[in-house]
Amino acid sequence: MYQGRSVVPVMQSYESTSIWVVCPAYNEASTIVQVVTGLRQGGYQVVVVDDGSVDQTHQLASAIASAVVSHPVNLGQGAALKTGIDFALQQGAEVIVTFDTDGQHRPSDIPRLLDALTRNRVDFALGSRFLNPPRGMPRLRRMLLWAATLFTVATTSLRLTDTHNGLRAFTRRGALSLRLRQNRMAHASELLSEIARSRLPYVEVPVTIDYTAYSMAKGQRTGDFVMILLDLLARKLYR
Amino acid sequence: MIAQVVFSLLLGTVLVYAWAEYRRSPIVAGLSFVVSLLGFYFVWVPSHATRVAELFGIGRGADLVLYLWVCISLIVLLNLHLKLRTQHELLTALARSIALANATVSAEQARHPGRSRSSVKEEQT
Repeated sequence: MYQGRSVVPVMQSYESTSIWVVCPAYNEASTIVQVVTGLRQGGYQVVVVDDGSVDQTHQLASAIASAVVSHPVNLGQGAALKTGIDFALQQGAEVIVTFDTDGQHRPSDIPRLLDALTRNRVDFALGSRFLNPPRGMPRLRRMLLWAATLFTVATTSLRLTDTHNGLRAFTRRGALSLRLRQNRMAHASELLSEIARSRLPYVEVPVTIDYTAYSMAKGQRTGDFVMILLDLLARKLYR
Repeated sequence: MIAQVVFSLLLGTVLVYAWAEYRRSPIVAGLSFVVSLLGFYFVWVPSHATRVAELFGIGRGADLVLYLWVCISLIVLLNLHLKLRTQHELLTALARSIALANATVSAEQARHPGRSRSSVKEEQT
């Protein structure tokens, strides 16, 4: 477990009702029930952000999630995360966890993130698939993630091993400090640069990613990394 | 002479555009401004354009002016792209407001309503 920056005290422990898991979902009817059920069994409040799905995602999520927020049009995962975080803050969340709905994350990793927040007294606990040797990861994806990590280390000075992991936990203070504007693929890099800007303490926590044919198909493609660079560049050019 | 006047009018339009865009995107405006001024200079002093073109291995001054014009077009295109992004950000804010206003909460959650939006905004500031 890597801990970054100086230690600043935050809350020591959290009630399960104050822990909100934000699940951005776009056409995830085939996985949403299993994912949300797993999270609800852990006792967490779950908000599903339906990002303009055209399948049964909204209806299925409404039956099991604590709340469902629906974008009228598809805006992208970054926008969905921001909407979910805003909603959780409105609900008084003390801790916010982001969790992908394609089935690649494990609810059993969340207690480790929460434990890392309290034990290390940090505001951000970021999941990393590389702190434990990853299994089943395609070589090309490994190389791209390595390049993305190099880019992030160079541009933010954060010392991280995994920069595109959707499983993270923030304290309320951490979530309030984030100014997210990237709607689509560049949101993960933007989130890290916002953590760097906030100068709040963070820690990396080992988590497991389950690579399935479904999650690989839904995940980022090689060409997406070019668009991520363009989006990040555009943000720097425009006020 | 006709070509010089036409080019000058076009470059003048780009200068006005750069001035108008300065507040929103100083980098794009600055680039447009510099390239337009260079264009003016070379349109009206073509002999210098030829000399500079030779220096860069382009050959003819007319080609240099043409390349400058292509540069201006690309910068304007970039700015249009950035403007589209701004419009998209507005659309996102609108969609997010609608989504949050129409959130559906479970019966269990409805019994424990959260904080108001305004109190969260105050915290964020």
